[in-house]
Amino acid sequence: MTESMLETGFSLEAFEQFLSPRREPAWLTLLRKEAWDAFEELPFPDRGLEEWRRTDLRLFRLGGFGLPGFEPAPSDNPATSVPPAAVHHAREQPPRGGLLGRNVELAGRVLAEDSRPIRDELDQPWRERGVVFTSLDAAVLEQSDLLKRHFLSPIVDPRSDKFAALHAACWSGGTLLYVPPGVRVDQPLYTLSRLSPGQVDFGRAVVILGEGAEATLLAETASVDPAAPGLHCGAIEIRVGPRAKLRYVNLQNWGTGVWHFAHQRALVDRDAQLQWTMGALGSRLAKVNQHVALIGPGAEAQVNGVMFTEGKQHLSYHTLQHHQAPHCKSDLLYKGALQDQSHLVWRGMIRVDRDAQKTDGYQRNDNLILSDTVRVDSIPGLEILADDVKCTHGATSGRVDDEQIFYARTRGLTRKEAVRMIVAGFFQQVFDRITIESVRDALGEAIGRRVRECD
Amino acid sequence: MKEEVSRMNGFQRVCRASEIPEGGRKVVEVGDRVIGLFRVQGQFWAIDDLCTHDGGPLAEGALEGWAIVCPRHGARFDLRTGQALSMPATRPTAAHEVKVEGDDVFVKIREA
Amino acid sequence: MVAELQVAKPDVIGEINKYDFRNQERYVFKARKGLDADIVREISAMKGEPAWMRDFRLKSLEIFESKPMPKWGGDISIDFQDIYYYIKPTDHQGRSWEEVPAEIKDTFDRLGIPEAEKKYLAGVKAQYESEVVYGSLRDELAKQGVIFTDTDTAVREYPDLLREYFGTIIPPSDNKFAALNSAVWSGGSFIYVPPGVKIDFPLQAYFRINAANMGQFERTLIIVDEGAYAHYVEGCTAPMYSTESLHSAVVEVVAKRGARVRYTTIQNWANNIYNLVTKRAVAYQDALVEWVDGNLGSRLTMKYPSVYMLEPGARGEILSVAFASAGQHQDAGAKVVHCAPHTSSRIVSKSISKNGGRASYRGLVKVERGAKRVKSNVVCDALILDPKSRSDTYPYIELEEQDVMIGHEASVSRIGEEQLFYLTSRGLTEAEASTMIVSGFIEPLVKELPMEYAVEMNRLIALQMEGTVG
Repeated sequence: MTESMLETGFSLEAFEQFLSPRREPAWLTLLRKEAWDAFEELPFPDRGLEEWRRTDLRLFRLGGFGLPGFEPAPSDNPATSVPPAAVHHAREQPPRGGLLGRNVELAGRVLAEDSRPIRDELDQPWRERGVVFTSLDAAVLEQSDLLKRHFLSPIVDPRSDKFAALHAACWSGGTLLYVPPGVRVDQPLYTLSRLSPGQVDFGRAVVILGEGAEATLLAETASVDPAAPGLHCGAIEIRVGPRAKLRYVNLQNWGTGVWHFAHQRALVDRDAQLQWTMGALGSRLAKVNQHVALIGPGAEAQVNGVMFTEGKQHLSYHTLQHHQAPHCKSDLLYKGALQDQSHLVWRGMIRVDRDAQKTDGYQRNDNLILSDTVRVDSIPGLEILADDVKCTHGATSGRVDDEQIFYARTRGLTRKEAVRMIVAGFFQQVFDRITIESVRDALGEAIGRRVRECD
Repeated sequence: MKEEVSRMNGFQRVCRASEIPEGGRKVVEVGDRVIGLFRVQGQFWAIDDLCTHDGGPLAEGALEGWAIVCPRHGARFDLRTGQALSMPATRPTAAHEVKVEGDDVFVKIREA
Repeated sequence: MVAELQVAKPDVIGEINKYDFRNQERYVFKARKGLDADIVREISAMKGEPAWMRDFRLKSLEIFESKPMPKWGGDISIDFQDIYYYIKPTDHQGRSWEEVPAEIKDTFDRLGIPEAEKKYLAGVKAQYESEVVYGSLRDELAKQGVIFTDTDTAVREYPDLLREYFGTIIPPSDNKFAALNSAVWSGGSFIYVPPGVKIDFPLQAYFRINAANMGQFERTLIIVDEGAYAHYVEGCTAPMYSTESLHSAVVEVVAKRGARVRYTTIQNWANNIYNLVTKRAVAYQDALVEWVDGNLGSRLTMKYPSVYMLEPGARGEILSVAFASAGQHQDAGAKVVHCAPHTSSRIVSKSISKNGGRASYRGLVKVERGAKRVKSNVVCDALILDPKSRSDTYPYIELEEQDVMIGHEASVSRIGEEQLFYLTSRGLTEAEASTMIVSGFIEPLVKELPMEYAVEMNRLIALQMEGTVG
């Protein structure tokens, strides 16, 4: 059960206890220690900061959680010297609670629970071609050179805020996907991170696609208990190499007691393509930064957001489309539906640097409001320093159309069915952009189940 | 001292009366709400620690008679009813029931 | 504009000189530089104000000193102690044009006021160095009970009416510059329009900064009673100075049930002026408030005219044009707050940035809980004319109601090549073509302006566009 959590919370002592069994390369331990110093030095985000103005952290108690720990036990595989009891290579029963991994042929799976790697598997043919898909914990030992280069120029800055620093110090149970140049993985890969009641998930995903590589990664989070408290403090770092193509689906589906803080950033190089789909359904409070930087000419990014809030959830997603190179295209569509007394914040910025001429930037946020007591903050943004650009954004918000409900009911649907259908119609535009059918179905179903009758 | 939850008629114990002097205040948590508890003219008053103008904390503002003044933009609210008394606030903040028994202060959330 | 004109043409120089000149400084009283409680007390004493206003000013000073500078918007580097906060040009307020001291008349002659007066204006309140020097009110309006005077006079002559509203729409603690204005305000207009009275010509005022380091802190309060209508116009220009100058006005507008108020501003401050203004209106049942806001000058403008719709049927419309050239940052926009059901709002913002200028739209659409059946639409279009310039859009939408229809769209682009080609192939030079396109771009605002402003606006745009394209 919960012996994996250290009792001493987030003290230096606990941190050192967390570090000692890991037996990681010295360069990584040093980075973690620097990040820990930053964590201790940085204050909790102040409500006065524009980025945190709408997110109320007053009820969040970091002290109610602790660092992930490990049970000391002899290693099965002395060659890897990975923390024992952390990785099981044997085939176990299929993942519980996952939505995205169903009804689709997968090339591999990486599973973690409570920040501990549980299992990773990758079909042999891909392994032979040099694809690496394992827990990040194992990868820092097995792919040390590759990861050292990556960690030394981190894509997510550990000093962004206190949560980023904590994560950089204590990440555990993450994933590495590395696809060598020219290799095209034609079946999706899947990761699932699960959280038990009261536990923490500090998983970090690192995705690196070499030149001309292709892959599809479906990542999902889930809670064992639908309402128990938990904490996620995570990061996602993506590097899409020149002419590479990545489809990345990220479904946040924690229970309603989980505090979720994440920094997610992708760099898209010359002529590369990124399709990044974000599903945000769970958590008690989520504060996510999702940034895409187009760093080489001809880069393209399509960002899809599917959000559904209910109860007293507070979800705050901040996106950035940063055009650093010319001739790049970014296209962001975030759609959210709100129910009960939930609060959804979407803040998006398109930033075009002076040299990013011939930028084509688009940003759109649509919200469907299903009750009288929600709150939605929709904040698009443009900061344009080049002149030969085409940048537009749009935002709409509204309720379910009474006429549509009436019409559906005359056709024999109950009110709930009618609303569900309208909600499905609302999300259709963003679902159409998701080119992985199983993901469309899974998201559609998850949202449909959440819709209650509304007035 | 551990907070006791007294579920008698929805009232929750929040603190000791002796902790708050006349004209003083304390910010407490009741369930998932943050409440400003004030002692004015011998009685206790509880309102949401929330300025309805910008959604930020209210309870740390200045007290002027029965009005609490939001420190950021000067919106005023009546401590007793939560009513908004000045721009830029246009809506009341929630005011809750308070009762005192012995040295214990209890708050019952008044849902809108 | 004044500073950046490279190639001089005779008529243009005359144009510039018309707006860029100074009188010798001869004043009756000049306060010392700097800001403290003594200065504030002196200002109040000089004006012969009642105790409540003096106390209001002193309290506001405390608030100003306690508030931090805003961390957003433009770059404000002002030494608050290096500014004169009050100058009174003459001892009494002139009743007719002939009574006004010669050199002050000269200033306004050159600004074209006499012509305007000959037209159909109700009255002219000209502000000269923080005091209203000249004013005259048409007899008909006076008979109908319309009050159009300067705020200082209103404090003395209409204390109850003024006090009922003063500082209630924009409390001193609203923001740092509202607090500053509340402490040192001087001049500005006070207008009251009684129920049912419709003034069908614009009420107008001019402002001017002359002395080096002079700040302008006019305070305007407009109350339009039930079913009444008024259109207020202000336009300002100022000469160039080498040291910073600060303009921090507060405008409060009340539109009662069924009233209609339009407030038009064309701002053309010189390039060393900080123009930090708080303008807000409250609209009651079925009232309509329109802000027409043209920002052409200043080093930095931060201004977001707002409408709070407090009762059903209220409407707010804001039309904003910003032109940012070299060394200028226009950070302007609009705020609409829906506090009641069946209210609607519209915001149209057009901005142009050229020659390294920066134009930012910043706005808010807020719908509070209970405000059902709200419709709001925002359109922001921006033109960037060259790669040195910058354009930003920062719109905020905050909704607490489901029964709303909210739309927002924004786009940023440069002048379309096809459009340019079309015009140049018909004999226009590229400069002429660009000017035409830019004029067309801002046409929705220009057509809402009183005629002489429209003319002035188009002339200024043409001047601005000189030497842009090449």
